[in-house]
Amino acid sequence: MEIRPIFSALMRNKTGLVLIALQVAITLAIVTNSLFIIKERIELMNRPSGIDEAGLFTVSSLPFAPGFDRAGSITQDLATLRAIPGVIDATPINNLPLSGGGWGEGMSTKPIDPNTSKPEDSKGTTIYMVDDHGVNTLGVNIVEGRNFNPDEITDRNERDNGWPQQVIITQALAKELFPDESAVGKRVFMSNDSTGSVVVGVLERLQAPWVNWNGVERATLVPQRVLWSSTRYLVRVKPAERDAMMKTVEAKLGEINTGRIVRGLRDYGEIRKSAYSRDNAMTVILISVIVGLLVITGLGIIGMASFWVTQRVKQIGTRRALGARKFDILRYFQVENFIITSIGLAAGILLSYGFNIWLMQVFDAERLAWYYVPIGAVCVWALGQLAVVGPATRAARVSPSVATRSV
Amino acid sequence: MLTMQHLSKVYRTHLIETHALRDFNLHVSEGEFVAVTGPSGSGKTTFLNLAGLLETHSSGTYLLDGVDVSKLDDNARSRLRNEKIGFIFQSFNLIPDLNLFDNVDVPLRYRKFPAAERKRRIEHALTRVGLGSRMRHYPSELSGGQQQRVAIARALAGEPRLLLADEPTGNLDSLMARGVMELMEEINAQGTTIIMVTHDPELAARAQRNVHIIDGQVTDLGDEPRLREPVAAVG
Repeated sequence: MEIRPIFSALMRNKTGLVLIALQVAITLAIVTNSLFIIKERIELMNRPSGIDEAGLFTVSSLPFAPGFDRAGSITQDLATLRAIPGVIDATPINNLPLSGGGWGEGMSTKPIDPNTSKPEDSKGTTIYMVDDHGVNTLGVNIVEGRNFNPDEITDRNERDNGWPQQVIITQALAKELFPDESAVGKRVFMSNDSTGSVVVGVLERLQAPWVNWNGVERATLVPQRVLWSSTRYLVRVKPAERDAMMKTVEAKLGEINTGRIVRGLRDYGEIRKSAYSRDNAMTVILISVIVGLLVITGLGIIGMASFWVTQRVKQIGTRRALGARKFDILRYFQVENFIITSIGLAAGILLSYGFNIWLMQVFDAERLAWYYVPIGAVCVWALGQLAVVGPATRAARVSPSVATRSV
Repeated sequence: MLTMQHLSKVYRTHLIETHALRDFNLHVSEGEFVAVTGPSGSGKTTFLNLAGLLETHSSGTYLLDGVDVSKLDDNARSRLRNEKIGFIFQSFNLIPDLNLFDNVDVPLRYRKFPAAERKRRIEHALTRVGLGSRMRHYPSELSGGQQQRVAIARALAGEPRLLLADEPTGNLDSLMARGVMELMEEINAQGTTIIMVTHDPELAARAQRNVHIIDGQVTDLGDEPRLREPVAAVG
């Protein structure tokens, strides 16, 4: 291999070397960190919500008729929904997982005194108000305890402050409140409540409405129907029938009560897409940045190598005249590029970790997994070798007779 | 050493066909020092390119050291060039970014000699041309005559059977030209066959035989070869 003389020759023409090596270093640093961020975002977007998203959709009822019977309407709507062939179950619900808007409460194992309690005394949880069909409609799994009984369901008006006697909480919340024991049968307290509620069941998983909240796995079901200005229903059907059933349900609700508007028909695909739209956009932007950088770096290498080939035609012809095979010329440029890229990658590896440390300090990012940098380095190195194939092939085609030409 | 029979070289474009060499016949014996002369455009460089396997001929036969080169592929031609032929170019063709040691090393690396053997040959060749103390210098730090001496060292390091020189003193002043010419005569005296293309009649007169080319054909094969008496190597 001609590494030493090629390196020596490069050292006498440092400008091109430094420019390409710098470009490679910056590319590696940005590509590895971007790939890591993309992987994190994808993992975030792929987290299971715990509910049967494929079979779920939501629809809302907004009354406008004077003297509208909210409680009666909810009872009638639910009976109608549950009777529609193809509907697995339905429940009223105040807020939706992944929807971005919801009800948050602090929950503690002791009564919460707003004057003396500190934030760390309680754990934040989202509150989903559902009836005894809530668990089945959401499609969540109870891993311990039981579901709500029908007689435990109460109505909650807009000015009500208290909390029911029973709650169902997620495993994640249970472990934080009762790390060393079962939560079932234990009493928990929310704000404005000195009597507390008993945990009757524990869910395997149920996410909060806020997907970027660090307590997204902490959720609580309370057995209440909300009698507010509008009522939201969650309907579960077979996934394959969802689109057709959405139209049927909307039409049926519209038929049985004309004193309200039926609106807000959305399936969970749409809700999930909206929940992760920013993450998705960031992923697309970062992928574009990666592709753009790799293309620019590749073009930079092609440009520089092409320039060098043009500049050294006489030298290449001389090498051929002195006995170099076409393969030797091809290899010369590949080795030269390998050296430049390797110098760039050596700097890029340091830059990658430095960039990651900066991201960790400024944006609270995760530590870069160790294998990202070597994998990224191999990819950038391969890109460099690929980029130089064209110019190197052109160089290999230079005739040895060029050596005897006077220009 | 070299036999060309009815050799021709035709350059074709879609409009023009140029016969650079036609029915070219030449035999050069081992150990000869032949000067090839002729006016500009007569085919001297084409002859040199064909003789040095830098180009392929269009028709005819070319035997180099008994090998019919028309049957060789590009790799085999490169190998033959590397092992049997040394080149001295008018403009030296040294690689400016390599020092003298690495410049002389270029053909030896393609020969795949071990590092120690390359080093021995490089040091010997540079010492022989009087530049043994300047191995780490770069071509730009040398005079034209010294650069041509490096090119000669590069050609000699591989111990070629045939040395092809293309106007070797064309870019040198008369003093330097004389030095280079004396060096070539000394190399020839040690048994290396030399074919020198030149337009300088004075230089050509110092060769053992003059071959004159006009319009791609040999018009004068010169006298019968009179080989020099071998002399001891210098350096």
